[in-house]
Amino acid sequence: MTFNANDLLGVLPAIILSIGALLLLMSEVFLSTTRAAAQAPASPGERVAQTATAPEISSTQPDRRYQAWLAAGVAALGLWAALSQLGDPAISLFNGAAMSDGFGRVVAATVCGALLISCFVAFGYLEWLRATRGEFYALTLFSAAGMCLLAQATDLIVIFVSLEVMSLALYALCAYLRRGKRPAEAAFKYFILGSFASAIFLYGAALGFGATGSTRLADIAAGVRLAATGGGPGGSAGLLFASVALLTAGFAFKVAAVPFHMWVPDVYDGAPAPVTGFMAAGVKAAAFAVLVRILVSGFGDPSSSIGPHGWQQIIVWLAALTMFFGNLLAVPQRSVKRMLAYSSIAHAGYLLVAVAAMGNAPSRPDATQGLLFYLASYGATVIGAFGVVALIERKFALAGTGDDLSSWAGLSERHPALAAAMSLFMLSLAGVPPTAGFMAKLTVFRSAIEAGLAPLAIFGVLTSVAGLYYYLRVVVYVYMVPEGRADSVPGGRVLSASIALASCALIVLWMGIMPGSFSAMIQSASGSFGR
Amino acid sequence: MEAVLFYIFAIGVVVAGAQVVLRRNPIYGAVSLVACFFFLAGIYVLLSAHLIAILQVMVYAGAVMVLFVFVIMLLNLKEEELGEMHVTTMKGIGLAAVLVLVGFIAWKALTPVQFARDMAVNEQIHGFGGVKAVGNVLYRSSVLPFEVTSLLLLVAVVSAVVIAKGKI
Amino acid sequence: MRRVDTPGTGGYFPRPQTARLKANDEGIAMDSYLTPYLPILVLLLLAGVMCVAITFFATVLGPRRITNIKEAAFECGSPTTGDPHARHSVKFFLVALLFIVFDVESVFIYPWGALLRDLNGDGLGWFAYFEMMSFMATLAIGLVYVWRKGALEWT
Repeated sequence: MTFNANDLLGVLPAIILSIGALLLLMSEVFLSTTRAAAQAPASPGERVAQTATAPEISSTQPDRRYQAWLAAGVAALGLWAALSQLGDPAISLFNGAAMSDGFGRVVAATVCGALLISCFVAFGYLEWLRATRGEFYALTLFSAAGMCLLAQATDLIVIFVSLEVMSLALYALCAYLRRGKRPAEAAFKYFILGSFASAIFLYGAALGFGATGSTRLADIAAGVRLAATGGGPGGSAGLLFASVALLTAGFAFKVAAVPFHMWVPDVYDGAPAPVTGFMAAGVKAAAFAVLVRILVSGFGDPSSSIGPHGWQQIIVWLAALTMFFGNLLAVPQRSVKRMLAYSSIAHAGYLLVAVAAMGNAPSRPDATQGLLFYLASYGATVIGAFGVVALIERKFALAGTGDDLSSWAGLSERHPALAAAMSLFMLSLAGVPPTAGFMAKLTVFRSAIEAGLAPLAIFGVLTSVAGLYYYLRVVVYVYMVPEGRADSVPGGRVLSASIALASCALIVLWMGIMPGSFSAMIQSASGSFGR
Repeated sequence: MEAVLFYIFAIGVVVAGAQVVLRRNPIYGAVSLVACFFFLAGIYVLLSAHLIAILQVMVYAGAVMVLFVFVIMLLNLKEEELGEMHVTTMKGIGLAAVLVLVGFIAWKALTPVQFARDMAVNEQIHGFGGVKAVGNVLYRSSVLPFEVTSLLLLVAVVSAVVIAKGKI
Repeated sequence: MRRVDTPGTGGYFPRPQTARLKANDEGIAMDSYLTPYLPILVLLLLAGVMCVAITFFATVLGPRRITNIKEAAFECGSPTTGDPHARHSVKFFLVALLFIVFDVESVFIYPWGALLRDLNGDGLGWFAYFEMMSFMATLAIGLVYVWRKGALEWT
C-alpha cells in the first residue's frame, strides 16, 4: 500500500469538481431558503401557463445567479488543473487503480471545457424558466467529476463506480425540468436502459475477474497475454472473449452505437437543451476514453486471438452499422433536437472508426490523436448546436414540447448572428472545411487507412456525404425559407448564451483552420498507449 | 455435502429468479426475489464469502426489498391494470439469445471449475471472505473506489430529492 | 495465500500445492468452514418442520365448520371501508431511499471499525482515519442537504 499526495494530484480535476459540487449543495440550502415565502406554490397548470408567457425574473425571487458563476469558476479551475498537467510524465495512481497520463488529461480537459461552456448556456435558460437551483449545477459538476475519473480509471471497479456517478447525475438532470411528460419519459428510459447497460458491463467485468483474478487492467492484460500462449487457468481464453464482448456492449450503449441506440432520440429530445449538449459532449468523451482504455490497455495484446483481432472485428461492424443507421435515421427528422440526436449516433460511428484503428499497434498514436481531436471538436460543435436550440426554445417558449424545423425558418432575418453560428455548427457536424468537423474526420479516416481499414474509411466518407443532406436542410431553413414566425418572446437576457456560442464558434473555427496548434497541445496524449 | 448444498441453492436461485419474471402479481414477484436473495446468500457461504452473504441478507433481502415493496404499494396496480401476458416473436428471440449466451459462457467456463475450487479451498484457510479480509482489500488497495462510492451515494441522495421533492 | 497485487504480474492467485488438494478431496477439511452455519441450518429446518407440522395437524385434527360469517373479510369487527388498493404517497419512497443510502454507508463503516486496530499496527492508522472521515463527511453533507431541504419533514 503506497499512498501519497501525487495520487490526489493525479485526480485533481475530479476532486475540484466534487468539492465545487459540495459547495453548491451547501449554498443552495444555506443561502437561499427565503424562496417559499416569496412565491406561492403554483399548481402544474399555472406553471405551464407561466412557461408560455416566459416570466421575467421577478424581484421577489431570491437571487441564485451566483451559482452559475460558481459552477463556471469551478469548471474553469478543473480545466486549468487538467491542462497544467498536460506535459507531465504519465504516472500510475492509487496502486494501479487509476492513471494520470496525457490521454486522461486531454479527455478531462475536454469534459471540463464542455462543462464550462454548458454553464453559460444553462444560465440564461434556467433563469428564464425560473429553475435556477444549486442542485442543477451540483449534479452537473458531479457527473463531470465522474467523467474525469472515468477517463483516468484503469480498474474495472473504479470504472463502474465512476460510470454510475456520471450516469445517476445525468438521469436526474434529464428529469430536472418536470414540465409535461417528455422529461419524465426521457429520464425513465435513460435510467432503465442505462441500468441494463451497467449490468451488462458488470457481467463482463465479473467474467474478466473470473479469468484473471484481478480487476486491474494491467493484470487483465497479463492474463490475456498468458491465455494467448495457452497458459493461465483453463478456459480463460473463452471467458476473456465473453468478457470483452460484454464490456464493449455496455459501453456501446453509453456512446450510443447501433444497435444500442434506441434510447438516444427520446432522451436527447426530452432533456433540457443545455443538459443535452453537455450529455452529448461529456458522455461521449468519457465513455470513449474508457472504452479505449479497456480495449487497448486491457485487451490490446497483439499476439492474442482475444486481443485486437478479436475485438477489432466487433468494433468495425459496430462502426459501420452506427454510421449507416445514424445517418439514415436522421434524414426524416423534422425536429432539430431529434435530428441532432441521430447525428450524435452517427458521430459515435465515426469515433468507433478511430477505436477500430487502435486495434493495430503501429497506428495507435495517430488513432489516439484522431480520437481526441474528434472528441474535442464534436464537443464544441454539439454544445454550440444545442446552445442555439436552447435559445430557439426560449424565443418560442418551447421548453418541454419539442421543436420543429418551421421554428427555424427565416432565422437569418431576425437573428443573423444566431443563424451564422447555427450554420457553422451544422457545417462542422457535416464535416465541411474549414471547420473542426472536417479536420476531425480527416484525421480519423487517415488513421483508419493507416491501420489497413480502408473499406471502413471509404464507407465512413460515403455516409458523411449522405449526412450533408440533413445538416444543410437546417441551413436552408435558416437562410432560404423566408416566412418565419415572429419570436413569441422578444428580448430576454442572452449575454451569457452569446458568450458560450461565440466561444464554441471560435473553437470550431480555430480547430478547423489551425488544427496544428491543437494537435500540438494533445501531442503528449498520443503516446499513452505505446506503439 | 458441499455439492448437494450448491445444487439446492443454485436450483433455488434459478427457480425463484424465474418466478420474479414470470409472476403477474408484483407482490409475488417481490417475495420470490427475497427467496432468490436468500438462496444467493447460501451460494456466497459456499464460496466462503461470509461477509457478503450476511450483507446480502441484511441489505438486499432487508433494505432493498423494502424499497421494492414501497414501489409496488406506490403504484398498487389492480388485477386488470396488470394486463395479460403476451408471447411475442421478440420475446422468443430474446429468450433464445439469452439461452445461447448463457450456454456459450457456461460451456467456456466449465473447464476452469477445478481451478475455481482449488482457489476457494485455499483461501478459506486464511480467513478469506471474513470482515477483516474484506476490509483489508477495501481500505488498503481500493481507496479510490471507496471514496468515489461516497460520491455515488451522495449523488443518489441528491437525485432522489431533486426528482421527488424539488419544487421547480 | 496472498494475492499478487502489483500490476503487470498477472494478478493470478498462485496455484495451490497438490498435497493440500489431496487432503481436501477426502471431504473432511472441506466442510469445516460450513460448521458455523450449522445452527442456522438447524433453525431453518426446525422452522420448516414446524410450519408443515402445524398446517398438517390443523387440517387433519381440527374441526371444519364453514359458515358465511366466517368467510367474510374481517376488519376490526366493523364493515370494511375504503378501497384496499389505495395508493401510498411518494413520501414513503423518499424516506425508504434515504434509509437505504445511509444503511449502505453503515455497511462500509462496519469492517473499518473491526480493522482499525490492525491498520494502526501497520502504521496506517491516520490514513485509515482520514479515509473514513472523508467518506463520512461527504455523506454528512448529503444528510445536511436532505435535512435543510425539508425532505425529512412529514408535511
